[in-house]
Amino acid sequence: MGKIQNQIFSSYQRDPVLYDEIFNNKGEIKDIYSRLFELYGGHTIKEYVHLNDKAKSSFFNQGITFQVYGEKESTEKIFPFDLFPRIIDPKEWEIIERGAIQRSKALNLFLWDIYHDQKIIKQGVVPLDLISSSANYLDQMIGLDPPGKIYNHISGTDIIKHNDGNYYVLEDNIRCPSGVSYVICNRTALKRALFGVFNHYKTHTVTNYAENLLDLLETVKPNGIDIPNVVVLTPGMYNSAFYEHSYLAKTMGVELVEGRDLFVENDFVYMKTTRGPERVDVIYRRVDDAFIDPLEFRADSALGVPGLFAAYKKGNVTLANAPGTGVADDKAIYTYMPDIIKYYLDEEPILNNVHTYHCSKPDELKYVLEHINELVIKPVDEAGGYGISIGNRLTKEQIEKVKAEVKAEPRKYVAQPIMSLSVHPTYIDDTESFEQRHVDLRTFTILGKDKEFVLKGGLTRVALKRGNLIVNSSQGGGSKDTWVLKE
Amino acid sequence: MEYIITYHCENSYKNPVSGAHWQFLVIPLEDDTQKIESINFENSLLEKGEYSINGFGFKTLRFKTSKTFSKVTFTVQLKLWKENINPFNFTPETDPTGSFDILDRLDFKTNHQTFLKSSKLTTLVNQEKFSYTFSKDLSIFQNLQNLNNFLFEHLTFETNQTAVNTTLEEVITKQKGVCQDFAHLFCAMGRENGVPTRYVSGYLHQGNGYFRDSQMHAWVESFIPTIGWIGFDPCNGILAATDYIKVAHGRDYNDCPPIKGVLFTSGENVTSYKVQVESAQQ
Repeated sequence: MGKIQNQIFSSYQRDPVLYDEIFNNKGEIKDIYSRLFELYGGHTIKEYVHLNDKAKSSFFNQGITFQVYGEKESTEKIFPFDLFPRIIDPKEWEIIERGAIQRSKALNLFLWDIYHDQKIIKQGVVPLDLISSSANYLDQMIGLDPPGKIYNHISGTDIIKHNDGNYYVLEDNIRCPSGVSYVICNRTALKRALFGVFNHYKTHTVTNYAENLLDLLETVKPNGIDIPNVVVLTPGMYNSAFYEHSYLAKTMGVELVEGRDLFVENDFVYMKTTRGPERVDVIYRRVDDAFIDPLEFRADSALGVPGLFAAYKKGNVTLANAPGTGVADDKAIYTYMPDIIKYYLDEEPILNNVHTYHCSKPDELKYVLEHINELVIKPVDEAGGYGISIGNRLTKEQIEKVKAEVKAEPRKYVAQPIMSLSVHPTYIDDTESFEQRHVDLRTFTILGKDKEFVLKGGLTRVALKRGNLIVNSSQGGGSKDTWVLKE
Repeated sequence: MEYIITYHCENSYKNPVSGAHWQFLVIPLEDDTQKIESINFENSLLEKGEYSINGFGFKTLRFKTSKTFSKVTFTVQLKLWKENINPFNFTPETDPTGSFDILDRLDFKTNHQTFLKSSKLTTLVNQEKFSYTFSKDLSIFQNLQNLNNFLFEHLTFETNQTAVNTTLEEVITKQKGVCQDFAHLFCAMGRENGVPTRYVSGYLHQGNGYFRDSQMHAWVESFIPTIGWIGFDPCNGILAATDYIKVAHGRDYNDCPPIKGVLFTSGENVTSYKVQVESAQQ
C-alpha cells in the first residue's frame, strides 16, 4: 500500500493490484490528472465536504431524483454524485468513439439482416437458436424496412477498463438506454460547485446531446415529410427515468407525451392538442416493445397507442428505437459481437469483447474445465445474474459440482475471464476521505441516416460499496462527471 | 362458388364503457382462389370503420369510439367468390428422403423459423403420453395426413372444455377440445417433426341453413418441400378444400383472434358471436 502526500488525499489507500485511473503503478499521479490533483489538493477536507453538500442540494433543487422500485417507503433519492471528475485522454477517447460507432453500426446491420435475408444465420456464423428462442425477436418486424434503415438509433455501450489497461465492452444496450440526463446534470453540478477547475482543462461540452439527438432523429423521418414533428413518448411520471424523458423533450424543444395523448387514424399518428389534432412523424419512445400498441402486442397495456404498429409498418411514423431491436442486446448475441463486426464491416473490432469460451466447442470446454478457477461460468439463457459461478470464489466441492454441470450440458454454458474494473478515487461520506472505488463508463451513440454522433463524455458509474463491482444506481451506485479532453 | 358470410358480435358490459378501440380480423384474405365481391359493416355506435394491415400482413377492420355505452353490436357481411379447390391438386413428392433432407437444411429452417418454433399455445408437454413421430419411409404429405387422422381419432370434439388460452398440457390431459385445440396440437406436432406449420383462422361452410352461436373455424397449413403450403383440418380429419375460407394465419390463436378490444371500463363483459356462411348458388 502506497501513501500519497496531498492534503485531501493524505489518507488515500492505493491497492497496487488494482488499475487506478489517476495513479500509475508506481504511485505517481498521471500527467492528465496532475493539474486537477493540485487544484483539489489545495482544499481541506472540510472545504471539500461543504462543496459536496452544495452539489447535492443542486441535484435536489433541479429535481433530479430517482425511485428505487420495491422499497417499502418509496422515497425520491438523488443519484450520488462525486465532485472529483474522471478524465479521459483524447487518444483513448478516439478509440472509444470509433469503437462505439463500429459496434452500433454492426448491430444495426445485424438487425437488418435477421429481419430480412438472415444471411448470417444461413451461413452458420450466428446460431439460429439465438434468434428463434429469443423473446425479443419480433416476427412482425420480418421484411419491414424502418425509415432510413435504422433500428438502434440510440445505443448505450457499457465499457470498463481492465487491469491490463485496455477497454472492454461489457454490454450493448439498445432498447431504451437511459442515463444521458445524468451526464449533463453532473456537468452542471460540477460547474456550480467548482467552476474554476474548468479553466485549467479544455473539456468537450456534453450539453450538445439534445440538439444532436433531434438532428439525427430528423434524418430518419418518414418519406414525404419535410420538417418532421418529433415527440418523446414516456410511460409516465411513475417511471424511474421520467426525469430524463422530460429533460430530453424540454431540451429538444419537443412535446413530451403519454400514450393517451396520441391516437391513430387511417394509419397516421396524431397528437391531441388544444388547437386540434397535430400529426406526429417521429416518436422517440421510452416505452418497451410489449407495451407500445395493445392491438398488436400486449392487450393489457395502458401505456401504448392502439394502432401504432400498423402506422409504423405502413411507413407513416418512425419509432426510435425500432421495435424488435432488443434481440441484439441479448447476452448470448454479445458473445458473437466480434464475428458480427467482421461479418458486416469486414473490420477487426476496435473495442475488445470480454473473451467468451463456448463450452459447446470441445477444445474450449477442455480449457474451461482446466482453468475454472480463473473464469466466470454463465448459463447462456439466464438473465439478471442468475446461475453465475465466479471461479475464484468457489470451494473445492462447488468447483466439482460446476464442472459436472458444465460437462453434462456443455451447450448451456459459456465462460469468461474474471474482469477487474479499474478504480478511481471517490469521496466517501462515511469516512470523509477519498477511497478507491470501481468505475465503468456508459457511452451514448446516436445513429441517423448516413450520420452518427457519440456524446463526448458519458456516464461514469461508481460502485460505492468497497470492493463491489456492481455500479447500477439501484444497487447503491453513484456517478462522476466525465471529461473528454480536446487534443 | 359464391359465399355470403355474416360475422355478428354482441358485447354487453356490466359497467358503462367510456371509450374503446376494436380491431377485427374477420375479412377473408384475397388471393388467386378467394376474391371479395362486396363488403358491408355496421356497428350500433354508428362509428366509422377503417381498414388497416396488422403486423403479420393481414387486413383488419377498426373502430374507435369516445361515446359511453354498455352494449355494442358489430356486423360484417360480405360476398366472396371462391375457386373450387381440389385439395389433391399438386405434384406429389417423388423422393421422401430428399424432402426430409430439405427439412434438415439450415437455410430451410431459417426461412421457416417463425412456423417451426413453439409459441405459447403450441408448446408440447407430456410427450411420453402423447406424441407422433413421422416415418421417413413415407412422404411428408402422407405423414401429415396420418397425423391429421391421428388427432381426429384421439381427440374428442367437445365445447366448454377448453378456452382460447388453454395450454396443450390441459388439452392432452383431457383429450377433448374444439377446433383451436386440434389446430394447436397439429401445429406443435408438425413443428416437432421439423415441418413448418401455421395456425389458420377462417370460416367453414357447413351447409346452408346452419346458423347458430358459433366462433370462427381453425385449421392448419403445413409447408411441404417442393409442394408448398397444404391445409389440414384435424378437427374434421380432412384436407381443407373449397369450403374453407381463410382469413389469417399465425403461430397460434394469439396471432389471429377475430376481435381485439381496448376498453376504458372496469368489470365483466359478456360476448356472443354468430357466424353464418351460406353458399349463394345451390
